[in-house]
Amino acid sequence: MAAPMKSVGSKLSVERPAFTTTSFQKKTRSKLVSIPGTRPSVQNGQLIVSTGVTSLDYLLGGGLAVGTLLLIEEDRYDSYSRMILKYFLAEGVVCRHELFVAAVQESPDDILQELPAPILDDIAIHKPVEQHGLPCGPQDSLDSMKIAWRYQNLPKVQSALASSSRFGHYYDVSKTMEPEIRQAANCHRFYFPEHPTQSSPTQSPMLESYSALLKSLQEVIHKGGFDGAAPMTKSRNILRIGLHSLGSALWGDDLCCRDNPRHSHALTTFLYGLRALLRSSLSVAVVTLPSHLIQNRALMGSITRLCDNAISLESFKGSERETNPLYKDYHGLLHVRQVPHLNCLVSELPDRKDLAFKLKRKQFSIERLHLPPDLSETVSRVSRGELAGAAMPGSACGSSTSGNKHLDF
Amino acid sequence: MFTELNSILNITPDNFKQGEFVLISDRHTDGSFLIHHFLSFYLRARCKVCFLGLVQSFSHYCAVSQRLGVSLVQAKEKGQLIFLEGLKESLSVLIPKEPNTGSQALDFLRDPSAGLRSLYEFVRASVSHTGGVEGVEGVEGGVEEWGPPVLLVDDLSVLLSLGVSVGAALDFSHYCRATVCSQLQGSMVMLVRCEAEEEEDDGDEEGPERLLKGLTHQCSLTLQVQGLPTGYCRDIHGQVEVCWRNRHGNGQQMQKKLFQYKVHDKSASFFARGTSSAVL
Amino acid sequence: MLPEILQGTVGGGFVLIQDSSNYSGRQLLKSFIHAALTREEVVHVLGFEVSEEELKDGLNESSMQRLHFHNAYIDPLGWTESPHFTVHQFSMEQLTSLFKQTQQTKPFTLVIDSLSWILRHISTPVVCESLQQLKKGGAVRAVIGLLHSDMHQRGLVGSVCHLATSVITVRPGLRGDGAVAKTTKRSKTGKVTQDEEIFSIKEDLTVTVQGKPSQPGTTQTELEEPEADPTANLTFNLRLSDKEREAKEKLALPFVFSKEKKTALLHTGPGSGRILYEPDANDDYDQEDPDDDLDV
Repeated sequence: MAAPMKSVGSKLSVERPAFTTTSFQKKTRSKLVSIPGTRPSVQNGQLIVSTGVTSLDYLLGGGLAVGTLLLIEEDRYDSYSRMILKYFLAEGVVCRHELFVAAVQESPDDILQELPAPILDDIAIHKPVEQHGLPCGPQDSLDSMKIAWRYQNLPKVQSALASSSRFGHYYDVSKTMEPEIRQAANCHRFYFPEHPTQSSPTQSPMLESYSALLKSLQEVIHKGGFDGAAPMTKSRNILRIGLHSLGSALWGDDLCCRDNPRHSHALTTFLYGLRALLRSSLSVAVVTLPSHLIQNRALMGSITRLCDNAISLESFKGSERETNPLYKDYHGLLHVRQVPHLNCLVSELPDRKDLAFKLKRKQFSIERLHLPPDLSETVSRVSRGELAGAAMPGSACGSSTSGNKHLDF
Repeated sequence: MFTELNSILNITPDNFKQGEFVLISDRHTDGSFLIHHFLSFYLRARCKVCFLGLVQSFSHYCAVSQRLGVSLVQAKEKGQLIFLEGLKESLSVLIPKEPNTGSQALDFLRDPSAGLRSLYEFVRASVSHTGGVEGVEGVEGGVEEWGPPVLLVDDLSVLLSLGVSVGAALDFSHYCRATVCSQLQGSMVMLVRCEAEEEEDDGDEEGPERLLKGLTHQCSLTLQVQGLPTGYCRDIHGQVEVCWRNRHGNGQQMQKKLFQYKVHDKSASFFARGTSSAVL
Repeated sequence: MLPEILQGTVGGGFVLIQDSSNYSGRQLLKSFIHAALTREEVVHVLGFEVSEEELKDGLNESSMQRLHFHNAYIDPLGWTESPHFTVHQFSMEQLTSLFKQTQQTKPFTLVIDSLSWILRHISTPVVCESLQQLKKGGAVRAVIGLLHSDMHQRGLVGSVCHLATSVITVRPGLRGDGAVAKTTKRSKTGKVTQDEEIFSIKEDLTVTVQGKPSQPGTTQTELEEPEADPTANLTFNLRLSDKEREAKEKLALPFVFSKEKKTALLHTGPGSGRILYEPDANDDYDQEDPDDDLDV
């Protein structure tokens, strides 16, 4: 298991000596590596940060590239999208990144207070898991099928998404982060109802709320030196931007209320400005958006195009799928709407774009959606239950590489 | 530059038709790889290139072009490339510090209803030979001569997101075509990104669909990039329909060809339907 | 019926060519220009969409002096300093003065390429009024307009069509060459004739009608086949009885490792090459190097 090594992984990257190379580009890259909580992507050398959710990182090709924007289309009750946002911010706190939180429904402090607690000693968590993994014999024999021996050795399909090496931290969503850790983070808050507004005389298509947000973002970026305006004065850091429920009516936007909103370009113009800010600074953003309220699909398309990554969450809560036995192991579906294209012709594509997520007692994870091959009511229920029992501990350790240990020899 | 695409279009950097308006559209997938193709193609063909990069930063185009074997920085220094970085320029307009700063080219951001005349003025100044940018001393010491001008736009539909009307965008492309393609015998490449679903409306919808239709009437070659109709696949990224319009001389008014494609790290492969290396 | 309209035997009026983005009607429009020029008529072209060179390409050189191109292509909105003709000049008075510049008194054919450009910039009632006046007016023998119908709302297209004496709607044919034209002609008496023809345009801009399109509805029903049952002709039995299933499960398949088979292979019976050795006190067994008695 790679777990013991991984827990120091982020520290290792800090102390890793800069390689001496001749190419200019590589020099900057090795310099950037010295920012805690970042690493170059395996695929294209892009500097990436973790979202805090390991399986989401894997899905996004390792993590979020610095300078990009992840759009999360909220589920109906905003419970899981909010959770991912909190994961993202918590990862920032642990990595000592600076945070910028903007919200309109509640104060950003409310979100910050609910950040999940990091699990810093991963090894202790892993041990009981492995013991669980062993007594699978009886379940296996019930479930096994006759197969030529040469195929028995093939690795089992692994449903939980995980990369072989770890990046980011684990969090326990059942506990909240201790206030001391949280307060150590340098956090900027933008709470629109309390933000002083000044009417601008320009005819810009943006709304006042969005211009104010963009302006304060630019100030934070400029003052914090994230735009590289103050070179080499202090160690570089990453700014994590979390914008909650953008486009909702409370921002003064009528995007969700009408088919043909009057301010139909307000949000897209803001996102364009945000993209411009992100591309020119060491920052990374997660935006959640109540897309299920947006009636105009064409508008949703242009919003997505202005983001880099886009995923949408579909919770089973309150939908007919909740009672469907096929989905009983999951809490919702996750669709990949867009993959980023940054500094490369082709980005690493996920092998599928429709996945499922579930919230376990302590952890949120994204898995490949498996339906049982047999759709008849009784059989599938039994076998699914057992499969889940066997798969749960395996996926909980997050990085188990194969299911081979279930085999008899 | 993808040599496979060149042979499909029957062009090479030494021999290509002038006065062409190439329209790239994408739906359900990303068609910007074709923009990179044409950018590197025309730079190699020693054309004078004006690039309106509205959706990505200069460093992005630079990094990709590097993989395709062209250096944008050098091209810019030599005066071959005029690059408008929309993202960078827009910030000074969207977050105004002092009034009247920033590029005139993006005046439409201040008041989208005013139209894109200022952006066209920028294009015209960049491509015309009388513009102040001509006559830059080349590396060899002499004045480098560039071929016919080329205008590339990535992408035009983002203007709609910024509040510009479809009509204004069509007027802009018309003026560009009249100047670049007809008066200066250059070429033009534009990308329009559409929504995932094709909507059947009666033309009053103010969206990229209508823009695409309007541009289709103007252009001479369309490359329609689409996701696979059967759904997402990792090994085949989509299909391209190549359609030549108004071809003179061979009687046939329209000629269509359909290919599937896969984008690689430094190139793209195009193949007939069902002949992907992943399935054969 | 398309050749009749093309030859102008159906007197004057307003001919509207409707196209969409999947088939351009400009080639047909040029055929109309060509036909008018060969009839020794004077043709005025209001060119918004293509340049003069592109429009004249393919037309007969000898009749060029009778073709007057009013260039609204280069600068239709007056963005540069010296516009020749802008879209806002599209009104009866302005057009009349424009036509007078050529100092020709003969009635002429007016070709508008295209109405879509004008309709995007001028309100529909104003355009319709000007069209109606042009249609009636003495100087203009006939008006031929091109309209991209997929660019406009249905109601707008309808109102322009309402003014036209003949409407030709073109769309691509099913086979590679040839397109389909649906022609609707209204005579002054109120008689309406409709026709649908497959046509092709040759290099010299002459139009040949190849016939009528077959009814698409009938051919499709013929092609439809009864849905085949995929489980009909299988080489194996999908539905086993309990007894058959039991028999099937008893069968030992080749290349399958059962538990018994495996243990039999791994723990072979006594006396089959197993080494038994009891350590002796004299054995000099070095923990550090178990192989030190070997001379390596």
